[in-house]
Amino acid sequence: MDTNYDAIVVGTGVTGGWAAKELCEKGLKTLVLERGRMVKHIEDYPTINDDPWDYKSGDVITNETRKIQGKQSRTGYTTTESRKHFFVNDIEHPYNETQRFDWMRGYHVGGRSLTWGRQSYRLTDFDFEANLKDGVAIDWPIRYKDLAPWYNYVEGYIGVSGQNVGLPQFPDGNYLKPMELTCVEDHLQSSISKNYQDRLLTIGRTAIITEGTKPGLGRMSCQYRSRCMRGCPFGAYFSSNSSTLPAAEKTGNMTLRPYSIVSEVIYDSDKKRASGVRVIDSQTNEVYEFNAKVIFLCASAVPSTSILMQSKSDYFPNGMGNSSDQLGRNIMDHHLGVGAFATTDDFQDKFYTGRRNNGIYIPRFRNIGGSTDQKDFLRGYGYQGGGSRNQSWTSKVAEMGYGAEFKNEVLKPGGWSIGLGGFGEVLPYEDNRMTLNYDKLDKWGLPTVTFDASIKENERNMRKDMQQQAVEMLENAGFKDVKGYDGDYALGLGIHEMGTARMGRDRKTSVLNKNNQIHDVPNVYVTDGAAMTSAGNVNPSLTYMALTARAANHAVEELKKMNL
Amino acid sequence: MDRRKALKNIGTGFGAIAVTPTVVSLFQRCQSAATYAPVYFSPSDFEKILQLMELIIPATDIPGAIELKLPEFTDSYIASVWDEDRQGKFAEGWKVFLTASAAISGKGVDQMNASDWDVVLSKYLKPGSEISGAENDAASFASQLRSLTVNAFKTNEFIGENVLAYAPIPGEQRGCVDLMEATGGKAWSL
Repeated sequence: MDTNYDAIVVGTGVTGGWAAKELCEKGLKTLVLERGRMVKHIEDYPTINDDPWDYKSGDVITNETRKIQGKQSRTGYTTTESRKHFFVNDIEHPYNETQRFDWMRGYHVGGRSLTWGRQSYRLTDFDFEANLKDGVAIDWPIRYKDLAPWYNYVEGYIGVSGQNVGLPQFPDGNYLKPMELTCVEDHLQSSISKNYQDRLLTIGRTAIITEGTKPGLGRMSCQYRSRCMRGCPFGAYFSSNSSTLPAAEKTGNMTLRPYSIVSEVIYDSDKKRASGVRVIDSQTNEVYEFNAKVIFLCASAVPSTSILMQSKSDYFPNGMGNSSDQLGRNIMDHHLGVGAFATTDDFQDKFYTGRRNNGIYIPRFRNIGGSTDQKDFLRGYGYQGGGSRNQSWTSKVAEMGYGAEFKNEVLKPGGWSIGLGGFGEVLPYEDNRMTLNYDKLDKWGLPTVTFDASIKENERNMRKDMQQQAVEMLENAGFKDVKGYDGDYALGLGIHEMGTARMGRDRKTSVLNKNNQIHDVPNVYVTDGAAMTSAGNVNPSLTYMALTARAANHAVEELKKMNL
Repeated sequence: MDRRKALKNIGTGFGAIAVTPTVVSLFQRCQSAATYAPVYFSPSDFEKILQLMELIIPATDIPGAIELKLPEFTDSYIASVWDEDRQGKFAEGWKVFLTASAAISGKGVDQMNASDWDVVLSKYLKPGSEISGAENDAASFASQLRSLTVNAFKTNEFIGENVLAYAPIPGEQRGCVDLMEATGGKAWSL
């Protein structure tokens, strides 16, 4: 087994895949380590063609599943029969909660790139300047102009469908043709444009091909089956498995090693550089060391941070790059589960074709200057949602009671319903943190993660506004039975955990610099969600991918200059 | 002949919605004669559930609850999907429902026939029926049983592939189209 490489990439999700592709394409001999099993595109998607009736009780979460994936089931959707194999076994992979924290993840090649929500939005300078303006935490070391070309590059490669609408807080991008709105969504769009100067409704921007093809393993246009979380036989949605890993493979420079748990990054105190990583083979428990000139941690926020915390040396007694004591702190997510829904009796003779795995989007309209600024909370939120009619049957059908007429009515589409769910920014708080518990080890003898974090007053105040504005917009559109809701939310439920090794300008207050390098160990890059200095209010994966491509480019330039 | 394969083969020969008497009679012939051993319900309760569900989704030109094995699906669904707490509450509701049913019919619940159960369901599920506060739990059980029956009906392979509008690979997406042109007035099965 070869133990010397130019680069090592830890993780194979959205960022690991991008690091692998970029580094391999730029000629680096790259070892890609994945702690879980191999998942080959199409071949290892066992449920891609299943209908609900192919399962004993339909595509639901069963009691058997809850026994071994109790925490992974907290979302209510991640562990249904068709998806559960892409999420971890909670018995085998335990974690601890001082306060409830919902940590959903999958350990396999492709990681959560197979199961992600695919919503792809850019951060803006409203986000990059926010901490500085508000006096919260620390300033981002980059601005929109630093990332904009990389957003463009990533969008073009992965394929993102959406519509340019020309809003400064919701920048235009490199989009494939948008999906279509349903009749009720179209109605809400007109109503919002008529009733509000400060907001609009558009179709979601999603990493799904809607026209033409994209590079990878035969990636082509969406067939509208809405089975994205199972892996796509058409490669229509972006995943590492269909796109970036095949690109890396094609160069001949990639060595992909599944079942490889990285326990630490090894520090060479003479050279003041990392020399490689220590790996536990998850099946044999044998320990290996691999060396490289540059290391990319792309294991997702919590695991990448855990690896750094475990990387203790005389020079870094509290974990690699942790001289700031910021490692593990400032954990963020997007808070959700608040909004409103409604029904309408209109459009009874209208329907839709195809199952659109995408929703509507109402971009942020709070705290972006002038009259949008709020007294009760900082930052903002967007809404995602949709209007459909297939699912509900009770309202109209119940009038038929039961029997033959009722049965006939059940076969027709139900009434239309529409919902708006808020996605709000969570501020970085130093005392929202993860730590390692060395008293409770996992089956490989590694410490388990303990979460102690919660949303606070700013988020709670924002939630009131999120509910109220959703109700108001639906009422203004003339919908019926408008009901607001504020459900059960704990950090992590957005599956956007981030911020635990933040970027910054100063090594005293941050872990990473403006290029995602650890301040104190410049040949280690962390480019997953751990790097986030603030959360913004949009789905973050596109930003992680753009940061990764940018960092990989930087690493290669630095290697050429012999700086690493 | 394997019933599932038989139905799949036949399904492809007809439109997405049309179900002819031929299909139905073949469907009936293929029914398994084996008796089902319920997991959640006791055998005697299951007999009653069978009758109630057949009243909710009766056989028409499309097979009804018993032919489609909706009671079997539901029994297994409750046992394997609902947690203990929910199962327990449902069992309590069932007891209350049985007591109320006996009072309405003036018979022991084991002696009640389909038309007796019809009277009970009519009281609890037909709109406009007056329900006293004391009967709320029984009525709510009936409504829950109806939801379960509809869930089983809509998750059924025959219904999903041959009766509802079935498009496993739609190929395109149109946001706002005419209902009759899209599906002939039916719901999508997926």
